[in-house]
Amino acid sequence: MRRSVLNSGAITVAAVFPVIFSLHAAAQEPAPKAAKETRPLTLYQKLERANATGGPAPRRDVTGFWTGPLTPKLGPAPEMTPAGQAQFKRNKPDIFSASTNDPWATCDPLGVPRTMTTETRGVAFANMPNHIVILTQYQKIWRAVWMDGRELPKNIGAKGGPQPIWYGYSVGHWDGDYTLVVNTAGVDDSTWLDRRGYPHSPDMRVEERFTRVNHDVLEVTVTVDDPKYYTKPFALATSRFRWIPEQEDEEQLCVPSEAIEYRKMVVVPAGQDQAQGKK
Amino acid sequence: MKIKSAMYSALILGLSVGVPALAHHGSTAYDTTKVVTFKGITVTKFVWASPHVIITFDAKDDQGTMKQWTAEAGTPQTLQLSGWSKSSVKVGDKLDVYLYQSKTGNPVGRLSKIVLADGSELKDSALGYDKNP
Repeated sequence: MRRSVLNSGAITVAAVFPVIFSLHAAAQEPAPKAAKETRPLTLYQKLERANATGGPAPRRDVTGFWTGPLTPKLGPAPEMTPAGQAQFKRNKPDIFSASTNDPWATCDPLGVPRTMTTETRGVAFANMPNHIVILTQYQKIWRAVWMDGRELPKNIGAKGGPQPIWYGYSVGHWDGDYTLVVNTAGVDDSTWLDRRGYPHSPDMRVEERFTRVNHDVLEVTVTVDDPKYYTKPFALATSRFRWIPEQEDEEQLCVPSEAIEYRKMVVVPAGQDQAQGKK
Repeated sequence: MKIKSAMYSALILGLSVGVPALAHHGSTAYDTTKVVTFKGITVTKFVWASPHVIITFDAKDDQGTMKQWTAEAGTPQTLQLSGWSKSSVKVGDKLDVYLYQSKTGNPVGRLSKIVLADGSELKDSALGYDKNP
């Protein structure tokens, strides 16, 4: 949605009509000048504009800090099964609405793949023994991806097997020299796919493909396969990350007590529900 | 401070600005056709936090009733790009506040900008600008 605010020209000045209608003394003050300034660029926007390549991509290496858009490009509405539709109806998106049940509104874990569809300003990769670790700036989350060739566990949720967890179980491999493929299963089904409220079942499989196009550009495609809720696998999101020249990250946390205070002070009195209407 | 200068009744103007599609961060709840202006208010609370920065202050409505107003702005990260910091505003500071009020009529709004005692302006990251990069 940042895209809609910052990149798509959503805020356009249709008309600027200073209208003085108060009879009070302050009305004698000149009307404030209409703002004509342009919003400052984010680091990501600056890097997108510069569109540098940084030279060729190193082979089988995505380590480092990358910056991305607030929200990636989300795919079209996926076709759901009746079970998926039923769950989708129960999900009430928009964290700026008083009646939302988006787990994000109270800073619950975003899970996979939502960590790659929501607040994606920063991501980093690090090599660890037998792993690549994906570090998400938002909430300072890490995900350990096995790179030793093992398969995903087949008995997730079964008695004695690994149980569904917030960020699931991930394995990865290289497809060629420039694409890291990460496959994830076993994600707690109380997480959503994205801010639109698309649900997933405990059987969901997620594939993230990170392609390093050149030194400075990392493209990602997120595909969801969840036959219980969706009629076919679908591309949930695509995005592009940019290499951060200074390799500095930023702290960006959703803090439950702050989020709850915000809801009390702003969301409820501002009447977001009436304004936003139905999803 | 002259009381009337801080009164809601002293709001001075309507500034009709088309801001049609601020779906992100809930700005559609606010009446963006009209800026409500408060002069010389005293800050009672400044919350530098996610998801949005908040300023509260007391001001009288046009019936003369004192109300606590709550104004939200953008995220700390985006406001920093516009020159804000955690120490930009403190409790007790005197400010001029320009905001878009909730369509509910409740004393809550989205900032357009604030003007500090030294005359410098701090704009909201979303509604303080009318032009996109």
